[in-house]
Amino acid sequence: MRAAGLWSSLVALAAALLLPWYLTQDGIAAAPLAGLAWLADPDFGPAAGQVLAQGRWWLLPALLAPAAGLLAALLPIPRPARAALFLLTGGLGLGLLIAQGYAIGVQGWSTPWLEGLFGPMEDRQFGVGWGGALVPAALAVLLAAGLAGRGAFRGDAFTATVAVCIALAIAVFTAMPLVLLLGDAFRDAGGALAAGALFGRLADDRLWSLGCLAGAPRCGVVWNTALLGVLVGAGTTALGLAFALLVVRGRLRLGRPLRWLTVLPIVTPPFILGLGLILIFGRSGIVSLAASSLFGVELGRWIYGLPGVLLAQLFAFTPIAFLVLIGVVEGLSPTLEEASSTLRATPRDTFRTVTLPLLRPGLANAFLLGFVESMADFGNPIVLGGQFGVLATEIFFAVVGAQADAGRAATLSLVLLALALGAFFLQRRLTARKSYVSIGGKGDAGLAPPLPAGVRRLCLAVALPWAGLTVALYLLALSGGFVEIWGRDYTPTLRHMIKAFEISGGQLTGLAWNSVITTVTLAAISAPITAALGIVSAWLFSRARFAGRGALEFATMLTFAVPGTVIGVAYLRAFNLPPLELAGTGAIIVACFVFRNLPVGLRSGMAAMAQIDPSLDEASHTLGGGGADAFRRVVLPLLRPAIMAGLVYAFVRAMTTISAVIFLVTADTELATVFIVNRVINGDYGLAIAVAVVLIALMVVMLGLAQLLVGRRRIGRRAAVAPPIQPGGTVA
Amino acid sequence: MSRAAEVRFERVWKRFGAGNVAVRDVSFTVPAGTLCTLLGPSGCGKTTTLRMIAGLEYPSEGRVLIGGRDVSALPPAERDVSMVFQSYALFPHMTVLENVCYGLTVSRRPKREAMGAGRAALESVGLAGFEARLPSELSGGQQQRVAVARALVLEPSVLLFDEPLSNLDARLRRKMREEIRDLQQRLGVTVVYVTHDQAEALAISDKIIVMNQAVIAQEGTPRELYASPASAFVAGFVGEANRIPARLRRLDDVDAEVSIGEARLVLPHRGLPDGPAELALRPEAIALLGPADPAAMLEGAVSKAAYLGGVIEYTVATPLGEIFVVSSSAGSAPGAGDAVGLSFGRHGAALLPGSREAP
Amino acid sequence: MLRRVVQAALVATALVAASGIARAQGSLNLYCSVQVEWCQAAANAFQRETGIRVSVSQKGSGEVLAQIRAEAQNPRGDLWFGGTGDPHLQAAEENLSAEYRSAALDGLHDWAQKQARDSHYRTVGIYAGALGFGFNTELLARRNIAAPACWKDLLEPRFRNEIQMANPQSSGTAYVMIATIVQLMGEEQAFDYLKALHRNINAYPRQGTGPIKSVARGETGVSISFVHDAVTERLGGFPVGSAVPCEGSGYEVGSMSIIRGARNLRNAQRFYDWALTPAAQQLGAETKQFQTPSNRATPVPAEAPQMSQIRLIDYDFARYGASAERRRLIERWDREVNTLPR
Repeated sequence: MRAAGLWSSLVALAAALLLPWYLTQDGIAAAPLAGLAWLADPDFGPAAGQVLAQGRWWLLPALLAPAAGLLAALLPIPRPARAALFLLTGGLGLGLLIAQGYAIGVQGWSTPWLEGLFGPMEDRQFGVGWGGALVPAALAVLLAAGLAGRGAFRGDAFTATVAVCIALAIAVFTAMPLVLLLGDAFRDAGGALAAGALFGRLADDRLWSLGCLAGAPRCGVVWNTALLGVLVGAGTTALGLAFALLVVRGRLRLGRPLRWLTVLPIVTPPFILGLGLILIFGRSGIVSLAASSLFGVELGRWIYGLPGVLLAQLFAFTPIAFLVLIGVVEGLSPTLEEASSTLRATPRDTFRTVTLPLLRPGLANAFLLGFVESMADFGNPIVLGGQFGVLATEIFFAVVGAQADAGRAATLSLVLLALALGAFFLQRRLTARKSYVSIGGKGDAGLAPPLPAGVRRLCLAVALPWAGLTVALYLLALSGGFVEIWGRDYTPTLRHMIKAFEISGGQLTGLAWNSVITTVTLAAISAPITAALGIVSAWLFSRARFAGRGALEFATMLTFAVPGTVIGVAYLRAFNLPPLELAGTGAIIVACFVFRNLPVGLRSGMAAMAQIDPSLDEASHTLGGGGADAFRRVVLPLLRPAIMAGLVYAFVRAMTTISAVIFLVTADTELATVFIVNRVINGDYGLAIAVAVVLIALMVVMLGLAQLLVGRRRIGRRAAVAPPIQPGGTVA
Repeated sequence: MSRAAEVRFERVWKRFGAGNVAVRDVSFTVPAGTLCTLLGPSGCGKTTTLRMIAGLEYPSEGRVLIGGRDVSALPPAERDVSMVFQSYALFPHMTVLENVCYGLTVSRRPKREAMGAGRAALESVGLAGFEARLPSELSGGQQQRVAVARALVLEPSVLLFDEPLSNLDARLRRKMREEIRDLQQRLGVTVVYVTHDQAEALAISDKIIVMNQAVIAQEGTPRELYASPASAFVAGFVGEANRIPARLRRLDDVDAEVSIGEARLVLPHRGLPDGPAELALRPEAIALLGPADPAAMLEGAVSKAAYLGGVIEYTVATPLGEIFVVSSSAGSAPGAGDAVGLSFGRHGAALLPGSREAP
Repeated sequence: MLRRVVQAALVATALVAASGIARAQGSLNLYCSVQVEWCQAAANAFQRETGIRVSVSQKGSGEVLAQIRAEAQNPRGDLWFGGTGDPHLQAAEENLSAEYRSAALDGLHDWAQKQARDSHYRTVGIYAGALGFGFNTELLARRNIAAPACWKDLLEPRFRNEIQMANPQSSGTAYVMIATIVQLMGEEQAFDYLKALHRNINAYPRQGTGPIKSVARGETGVSISFVHDAVTERLGGFPVGSAVPCEGSGYEVGSMSIIRGARNLRNAQRFYDWALTPAAQQLGAETKQFQTPSNRATPVPAEAPQMSQIRLIDYDFARYGASAERRRLIERWDREVNTLPR
């Protein structure tokens, strides 16, 4: 406790004395002043310089709080007194710094009543930089040390630090943006708060109209979204079940290829599936042309709208259902089925009366996962939606359309959030009550019975054509990057590849270089942070007991239920102004990646933690190790496979995310997915696909490397089993 | 290793959430250098008590003192205790030696020193030569010894055992408990030992604390508990006991005359007033006599007889209810249906003070 | 142990910060709403010439407007290059762009100067393009349909489900079309026309270039698009023809604005001046974009539709570029046209 307080005070003090308090637009290297003059510079100076040389008295807590903390750590006072001092200085310093950050913005006082209170403010301040970020963070650690000293978190400073930091991070990067954004729903067009505004927008006919049943051209987007979600949920569950049953019980040698096939859609950048579908089923697609030349039938534009979006989403999300269900099918205890067969049940009876009912929670899980994923999907509806609007695209156009309407965007987000959370809670209730699958890891001597012949035939009839279609889709779609004009002139060419990745005169002159490098860089930065945060919070949530844990856990999960578009808008809304002026930097994209993908890492981390006997941690504690030792020496090594999976998953997600970041990218931080989207929108399919191919190749290489690394681990009997990469498999 | 410390609970409560009291107002002292057992059925609060000594739980109220120092709010690492877990909690990704050296490693002891101490500890539990194995490559008994060695290597002033033998088979259990007792005697360390097995508790303890429903039911030496159980619960939990209705008449400050049917017996009255009382009668203290034997204090008929090798267990139906008797199998043995007489003396019988409120 | 935590935090912070902060001093953040090739060529050429590092973010004009609106308090971009004139006028109206009078202004065509005058010199025309039809010659031939030549042709039953125009709620191109029809016919007749046209429309894509892309891929027969976009597709190897309506047509004035509060104002002005030179304006043609350049001295590419030969209406940018009028017309379209059955 004392060490933690000492170190955090030292770090905070050093940051306040040395690191630039504000965000410097051109980086520290660009400090224009020679010698030590930058220490007093209004732009580059640290807190100390700002207070002493620039008269920015409101930064005084940045100096005083660490100094007081240091004093408390060094003075020979009893433990409770020291803890109380830590608590006081850390909490007060943190509170004052946050308060000044929001009180004084780019135009002086942020609200008139502050001006009335303190008099006019001539000065102004931009977003915080290294110093401004590190000092409050270190003060938070000081606060945590104080809490630990008072006996919270079992008196362990590490646990307390982790808990306080995670709580802060979740508050800043998850709760605050969403609350701010959803607050917009209650503002009228002028920006004033008006409770009626929400109801006015909610009552909008464009949301709830059921006119299409009565022959009107379209229904409300809420119904569209819900209908699509239900269809996708049901479809992916059925397909996923067929695949899972075949792979586990089908007595086919298909397991490996099928598993790889299911990885493909996960590493596929958005739009590529949609493009492939247009190529096959579009009006000038292969199927349509064949139909018109062979049968003289004009198939027309049916692919644009519900059918196309549904098809694309089925392709995209079936792997997720498969990954969920294969775990469930493998987890079924064969003994139960053997028991059934010894009670004179035919294989068919057994399947119907034992196997399927046992699968029910898994099926519910898969269905709701498909439902939520479908609602959050942005890429497929925008390519194939045509006149079929869904909430995710509506929100996008409410923000960027010719009539930008933040209130409408917020209202739609609220509806979407309500739908997603509703599904999430339904799933929690359904699966929490009765999970039949044991993850105790105890051996089961039984042998799984083969599928009844009829069921097997049905599964084959569903799965094989679908697998074939998937392969065809990918071949066709990806070939688009290597032919002259996609859909028209199939002369092979590397033109698009060269256009995207040309290197001339030692310079990367290709159009896609910038965005691909940015993407890989940001993904590579965010993946370790995501994985680390996920594992640390999984450890915290499953091992530590503290007030508010449940609320924190719930807040962490919010970003999973919220569609990416909503997150993106919320982030832009929350981080465009000081003190957290992240918009336009890579940091906002990294933060978005991290907190959007955190829930999945967290869930798989918690699943893995559940398999580690808590007495291992306790043994470490009683042997004199602190929380940090238990975490680093015991939990981390045992979680290595889960960490690896989390890392790869975070990386892959960061490489393929579009909806969340489309509003966050700027010239400097354009991402490959956004590049692809813009090319698709402009009809440059060749270029888009060429970039997509490179991205897929990169990710497959990553996955392969990860497999190699995980393969070489030394783990004893109680080790955690490597969970498959489950995008939210255990989550929602 | 003579830094053994006294462990002391002062009016300790532990609540988990509202209304769920795991430990209720418990006070006791474990003298330094003794082996004290916390005995009780599952859910009685004994493990929670142990974990509060370790620092894995914190008391909701009251104080925990180790060696006179109040450790109530200290984390486990600052308490100078070690614990052997029911599941052993051996780190599966570390070798046996790494496991044993763990405590020294995290205390930043020099590696050479840690290794040396680890090897010595392994040797002391008879596992020299197993250093490089993984825990999964050891048998249950070997894993148990590694867990003990790992706890010992830190030379703690208090050593805690949480049902350490429950995962072992009966023979190994007996052997291991003797080893633990030897070790404790040799090192003179304070040991607090949790178990639900009364035989184990009786065999190794200097002192036993019997817990039931979050409170201490009785504490004392094994002999005290066996000879003078404070309640029907303790009588039934520490050894077997027949509970027989009786009448009591005080003779002096210590003794009372107890009437069981026609028979009379003089026993310490243990503070009970005159009137009806309940008597705990150990089955092995009852002599089985022939029918109409003049020494018989009770008449009855054998309703069941189970041959267990060295002994035979009888259930005898008597006017006072069914009585359970354990008798040597040597000599002639009555069978089911045979009429028998029962007799018993001062030894093996005790009045139960708590009997009126105990279930 | 804490030290390690702090170390890790420091490293992470450093990485994040380093990735986010612009590197060199001489830089320019360009929001670009023309085709990406053009954006990139302009950025590269300017960079070569001046040594100023240009970061390009290519987005549709609606998205750029939304972004600079969101960033108004604290702008991140410096210059907005290209895209239909209306959003630029809107930005000027909303005080999102900065006034700047380039020395090159006098050398521009009248319509480009008028754009500057209308906006009180907060924006300027850099190219012009006429609104017209694009059509897939192969598809029309296969279905034996004659190509459209006039606005009224589009109402004929032969084009049933064959026409695409962009959704004016999100596309500036579609709004130019509505404003053109209103100016040609008067508002009431214009909406009657749009309602009649609605029956023949198969989709209202969100992006202005969406319809012509569909024409090129054979997903639809006819589109209402800018003529220069049709030319681009034809040169891309697609069977695309184009026409300018016989009744006359509106046009867009592709514009350029300096964002108010730009952090690299000097560089933005330098780019502004440069982008109005003939040399810079030729880059459009070099990247197969055939709008008519705004500098009189810039040679008009042979493939470009000759503005002088097109019957253009006297498009009232000041009136129809204003936000209020724009919102009113779009809302009326959404209410009266978009909800009709087809």
